[in-house]
Amino acid sequence: MGGDKSEVLQGTLDLMVLKTLESMGPLHGYGIARRIEQVSGDGLSLNQGTIYPALLRLEQRGWINSEWGTSETNRRAKFYSLSGIGRKQIETETENWERTAATMARFLAPSN
Amino acid sequence: MELIRILFSRCTALFRRQTLDEELDEELRSHIDFAVEEKMKRGMSAQAARTEAMRAFGGVTQTTEAYREQRGFPIFEAMANDLRFGLRQLVKSPAFALTAILTLALGIGASTAIFSVVKAVLLAPLPYKDPGRIMTVWTANPVRGGHPLSSSAGDFAIWKQRSAVFEDLAPSFDDEKTLTGQGAPLFLISYAVSANYLRILGVEPQLGRLYTDQEDSPQGPKVALLSDHIWRTTFHSDPGIVTRTIRLDGIAYTVLGVMPRGFDYPTSVEIWTPSAMTASAYDDFNHPYVRILGRLRSGVTLAQAQKTLNDVEAQVAAAHPQTDSGNRVVVVPLREQLDGDIRKPLLILMGAVGLMLLIACANTAGLSLARNAERQKEIAVRFALGATRLRVLRQFVTESLLLAMIGGAGGILLALAGNRFLLKLFPNEVANLNIPKVTQIPMDFGVLMFAFTITLLTALLFGIVPVLKGLRTEASAAMKETSRGSTTTRRTNRSRSAVVVTEVALSLILMTGAGLVVASFQKVINADLGFQPDHVLSLQLFLPPDHYPDTDPTKRRRFVQEVENRLNELPGVESAGTINFLPLSGFWGTSGFLLRGQAPPKEGQAPEADNRIITPGYLRTMGIKLLRGRNFTDADRAGSAHVAMINQTMAKQFFKGKDPIGEELNLGSLDKPDWWEIVGVTGDVKAFGQDQPTHLDMYRPFDQVPFPLVAFTLRTKTDPASMVKSAEEAVWYVDPNLPVLKAIPMNLLASQTLAVRRASSALISAFAMLALVLTCIGIYGVMAYAVAHRRQEIGVRMALGAPRGDVLRMMMGLGVRLTLLGVVIGLVGAFVLTRLMTSLLFEVNTMNPLIFSIAVIVLIAVAMAASYLPSRRAASIDPMQALRTE
Repeated sequence: MGGDKSEVLQGTLDLMVLKTLESMGPLHGYGIARRIEQVSGDGLSLNQGTIYPALLRLEQRGWINSEWGTSETNRRAKFYSLSGIGRKQIETETENWERTAATMARFLAPSN
Repeated sequence: MELIRILFSRCTALFRRQTLDEELDEELRSHIDFAVEEKMKRGMSAQAARTEAMRAFGGVTQTTEAYREQRGFPIFEAMANDLRFGLRQLVKSPAFALTAILTLALGIGASTAIFSVVKAVLLAPLPYKDPGRIMTVWTANPVRGGHPLSSSAGDFAIWKQRSAVFEDLAPSFDDEKTLTGQGAPLFLISYAVSANYLRILGVEPQLGRLYTDQEDSPQGPKVALLSDHIWRTTFHSDPGIVTRTIRLDGIAYTVLGVMPRGFDYPTSVEIWTPSAMTASAYDDFNHPYVRILGRLRSGVTLAQAQKTLNDVEAQVAAAHPQTDSGNRVVVVPLREQLDGDIRKPLLILMGAVGLMLLIACANTAGLSLARNAERQKEIAVRFALGATRLRVLRQFVTESLLLAMIGGAGGILLALAGNRFLLKLFPNEVANLNIPKVTQIPMDFGVLMFAFTITLLTALLFGIVPVLKGLRTEASAAMKETSRGSTTTRRTNRSRSAVVVTEVALSLILMTGAGLVVASFQKVINADLGFQPDHVLSLQLFLPPDHYPDTDPTKRRRFVQEVENRLNELPGVESAGTINFLPLSGFWGTSGFLLRGQAPPKEGQAPEADNRIITPGYLRTMGIKLLRGRNFTDADRAGSAHVAMINQTMAKQFFKGKDPIGEELNLGSLDKPDWWEIVGVTGDVKAFGQDQPTHLDMYRPFDQVPFPLVAFTLRTKTDPASMVKSAEEAVWYVDPNLPVLKAIPMNLLASQTLAVRRASSALISAFAMLALVLTCIGIYGVMAYAVAHRRQEIGVRMALGAPRGDVLRMMMGLGVRLTLLGVVIGLVGAFVLTRLMTSLLFEVNTMNPLIFSIAVIVLIAVAMAASYLPSRRAASIDPMQALRTE
């Protein structure tokens, strides 16, 4: 979908977006993409476009809300913010991710 | 909860596509602008910043696509796309679209309309308990014409006792009554039915109660049950009707209950009273007047019941040979009994529309084939561009469904428009037709579901061949075939040929069927009724026994005499006469007779003739011929010598070569003879309709046999319908309390008698005509396509020196060969299928060679005409042009 470069797992991206919104407050798509890139440093190559279907998916679930507004540089943009459900969901998603990561870690650890 | 939110959001998105698309565009634009802005701040040139921003974004189109898929329902949207594309395709070839849609609309419309009748009549639920097990039981005897008729009370009692196949058997008989004291006297169709008769039907009254077995006895109270109709009309829905006293035939009856609305058995009955059979009635084997209703034990089949009853009857016949020998018991399910004579015509019509629908399918399939073949290149391009077979298949299916749906919608509209004409199948004035009363044919949910189902089936039928062919297309092959117009591949050829052959075969079946029905109808309407129905008005009356008792025949004589005199004096009346059982009225009765000097007939084989009691003016008024001897005169009075006339059929059958005039008929018994001298021979009258056999008729003077049922007939100079009022006034002048059952011109009665035949013959010929037109269009389409497709081949042939005549012959030959093959298959089908119609035909053999030849010739002529135009176009191809076009 996002071309060959995207190595971001779907659930991962969702959680990244949620965490970003949690720490940064309302933010537009470009801002979210940049923040994710900055936080992950060189560890991740992200097609910035792929966050838009993810944002829509989260909005459809009711985890985030969106609203048109203006940036500091006076540019019209759509701002996303975390909803009540989304805030609660971060916890669940974090647990899920940690469980998955732990499982993967056990697999990758040298046997016995 | 979350799922609902997602679905809701996706659904609303379907309807806000444009706004959402614009918003997305703006959002993505602002994203890029943010990126460019930031990069330029870091010192990049505008050009480099934009390139870098776009690279980091990673493809706007892909993002938009992914976003859209997430937003709505991709399947629906693809379907909508297919639909839009399909519609565009149809609009692009309007001739094809219109022909196909019209064809389907006709096929689906005709089927839906006929089905609405079938559903309203044959499939209507019966309002009785477990109606599948309710049977009517009849006795047929060759002496009485071999038709299933009512049985004797003696037979009934024994059958009830000895046949374990029935849970219960119940007697009934008609017992007409006149209601007085409720305004004008009303003649009511009434039935005397036993208490268990109503229990067999399993109906409960809407008011009051049914009578009990105790009440249903000769000593029981005089009680009556009313129909919903009579309660609402004559008694103005009186809520206190139960326990009220009403007067029937001058006797006080207590109303016990009101039957529910929609309860109409036996048909048209307004009042049910206890049968009150006496014990001695069950010893009577002589008078067959009992109509039997029974409920089969569960698990017992119709055939088993029939066999058991006939075995019992064989024993009865051994004990009572005089009355019962030759009796055959006929068990008829209630459903069939109610459907009567409309069942067969309806099924035949259903078959006819079914054939028409198949032709419509074949036609559309042919058209689609031709059109899809033209689209081979388009399909090949789609394949080449990477479309999957499934994707192309989906497009084809969508287009077929689209066509079928538009056609189906048109069909429903046609059915709605045509549906009320089908009511003509159900004349309401005629009592001698055994058909159910139908006043409306609803286009309800069931009918619409039927239309929808056949629409889908149609789409499947006509869509499947082109789809399968479409799927076989190989991208490279298709591109080659169209671009270098070789001869058609055998495969394409075969399916197109199949379409033509199918259509021709089906049309031939339909046309021969229609031909037989129409020929029968022609024979029937041209058959002589034996009387002149034009300008004759009839009024049927019943002389109720309380005012005109058997013990006072003079009163009846005086009444008839006075009314006839007054009628004769009416301006505009040429003559008047009276008869007991009016021809075509459905009323009739017979008497057994013996001839003088003849050996007494074998037991139970005494011949019977229809009783026709008339006044001297009757023959002249009705225009019935007097073949020999004399008519009755005023001198044939009560006290004078007993005289009779017989009809030609009876004269031929019983006085072969002898002059019947002066011979005598014994209407009594061997021991107590009652002699009547034959004074005249009349022409035959078709008293039961032109298509029914003539009965033996025996006329006697009313004065000598004052019968309580009379029909006045008057020959008028003007329109007989305009005379109804003055004729009725003449009756009421003599007896103001006498209801006129029915006043109707004889020609109307005669024409209504033929209503089912007329309507079904008109319908089936209309269907056959449509089928012929469809076939013509179908053949034309296929041939025209074949010519277009073989343009270059023909061009090459002509360039190589083939004369135009040869090309014309070659193309015509193709059409004719296919037609002939279709004709052969159709003939076989017609021979088989028209056999099913035997009982509907009148003096026309199912193998009628004339009708078969006409159908074949017409069909071949039409097929030739349909292939001539395209063939001529083929012959007029300019070889240079044809070869240069590609």
